Amino acid sequence: MSAVEIRNIQKRYGDVETLKGIDIVLESGEFLVLLGSSGCGKSTLLNIIAGLAEPSGGDILIGEHSVLGAHPKDRDIAMVFQSYALYPNMSVARNIGFGLEMRKVPAAEREKAVRDTAKLLQIENLLDRKPSQLSGGQRQRVAIGRALVRNPQVFLFDEPLSNLDAKLRMEMRTELKRLHQMLKTTVVYVTHDQIEAMTLATRIAVMRDGRIEQLGTPEEIYDRPATLYVAGFVGSPPMNILDAELTGRGLRIAGTEEVFPLPESLISAGAAGRRVKVGVRPEALRLATPDATGIRLTALVEVMELTGPELVTTARIGEQRITACLPPRTSLAPGSTQVFSFDEAALHLFDPDDGRSLLAK
Amino acid sequence: MERQNPLFTAFVYASALLLTAVILAPIVWLFIMSISPAADLSAKPLNWWPSEIDLSRYRTLLSAVENSAGAAFIASLVNSLQVAGMATLAAIAVAVPAAWAVSRTPAVSWSLYAVIATYMLPPVALAVPLYMGLAYFGLLNSVFGLALVYLTILAPFTTWLLKSGFDAIPREIESAAMIDGARLDQILRLLTLPLAAPVMATSALFAFLLAWDEFFYALLFTSDLRAKTLTVAIADLAGGRVSDYGLIATAGVLAALPPVLIGLVMQRALISGLTSGGVKG
Repeated sequence: MSAVEIRNIQKRYGDVETLKGIDIVLESGEFLVLLGSSGCGKSTLLNIIAGLAEPSGGDILIGEHSVLGAHPKDRDIAMVFQSYALYPNMSVARNIGFGLEMRKVPAAEREKAVRDTAKLLQIENLLDRKPSQLSGGQRQRVAIGRALVRNPQVFLFDEPLSNLDAKLRMEMRTELKRLHQMLKTTVVYVTHDQIEAMTLATRIAVMRDGRIEQLGTPEEIYDRPATLYVAGFVGSPPMNILDAELTGRGLRIAGTEEVFPLPESLISAGAAGRRVKVGVRPEALRLATPDATGIRLTALVEVMELTGPELVTTARIGEQRITACLPPRTSLAPGSTQVFSFDEAALHLFDPDDGRSLLAK
Repeated sequence: MERQNPLFTAFVYASALLLTAVILAPIVWLFIMSISPAADLSAKPLNWWPSEIDLSRYRTLLSAVENSAGAAFIASLVNSLQVAGMATLAAIAVAVPAAWAVSRTPAVSWSLYAVIATYMLPPVALAVPLYMGLAYFGLLNSVFGLALVYLTILAPFTTWLLKSGFDAIPREIESAAMIDGARLDQILRLLTLPLAAPVMATSALFAFLLAWDEFFYALLFTSDLRAKTLTVAIADLAGGRVSDYGLIATAGVLAALPPVLIGLVMQRALISGLTSGGVKG
């Protein structure tokens, strides 16, 4: 059964088209992450699902019923906001129980539900406090508790972790994943953080300029990005994108004489002389040993940055730069020429004009 | 704290003392005048310190004997309380929905600017039309009529203050309550208004003071004890052939008491209202 169905949703503010026709079908229990940079329309889409904004066109179905025009409270959803949006004048217990209070749930039942939720989130000892007496992470838990206690059909999260510091963000991310695995609820989660998207999602919708660039599982998004934008957005450091040209038998990196054979499966990518963009993830690159298989690139090492777990190395091929994530103990010298290699399977090809992937799906 | 030059510290304290003196001097002098014997106040050179403490004027003004200066003063005190109180309550009642609407619907904020523009008109420009209007409705020399006029002055002002108060309350809080199933009246009653309480208290106090101190319209639109306010009554004291400066000062001291008392009572709310932003969770 589909939990949420988004059908050709459009949104215009005057002349500005924020959403240009979004279609997503979400199965029950899925964790969908809407991923994109600010202004891509992801929060607008979430607000439309919540009923805080009305679409200019299209339809939204929750539990197979259209909720177009329905009040947010009648949509069987709960939302967690970026700013937590706790009620500052109410205790934590009343914050969590507010939705039940408004729905006239008897006090005893309400109290039990609040207590159970607080226990689940490990905030039982905070129930009597006011939001201003809580730390950021505790407020976040209360905000999640407020959503959980009502047991809605769909949870909506609007960048819930972006106000937390890095360490707390990781903890809460794990916590959210744990909760989702335990409760198996349907979630729509908005973020601009690709790590959050990769770790939490069962499916990711990468959005850009009011459209979906790619909708797929985290593995698909990472291994087979459909466009240059997705390739550059997901992954840290981002995928290396090099200008290149197809030759009869292979691929030549622009500005170099470097030609390497095109894998069998990609021979059909285009005629000789066609310009393409080549993509290789930094983590797919390694220093070539003499007997290495795969594709080889010769580059001039410029800078090495040790992050701890890896040595992020920037090197130059002609006028273009590539980044490689090497093991931390690699011995390299800036200014030296090195041969890097990577597997054929790690190669991506994109059309330089429309940015689409040239790899067969 | 950073290490500071002692000279600089002394300068800061001296400035603070000077400021205090400038603010307090008129009030202290008013009080001294009110307890000085009449002879001290007309002596040349002036006696800055009373030769004896004379509380007779307080007795005069607070005596309720009919047709005395005291009865007139007390009547005007009551009128002032009524007019300022009614106008303030009405102004807040009008401003809450208006300010909330403007704060949450920026598209109609032009209307607030239009209202503020009328606020810029000098009172004298409106005196004649208001007089004729009040006369037509039989509201001249009436506390209700005067309160109505004051409402037109206070409402734009309180709306403006309350709007900035509502602006400081994140809209997401109201969105969250909406999703939680609260109706508009519940959102306002349980969340928005309690969170805006400090700003409401501040605007009520300022509105009350504005109405309390108003003189021009009160002078024009009232004529006897039924509606005359304190400011007019004090002016009357100065209007005779022989002015008792001490009596005027005493009336001033007494007129200052109610706002000061209200201010003291509302002090906590007032301070948090003036340092707004304290509403954020």
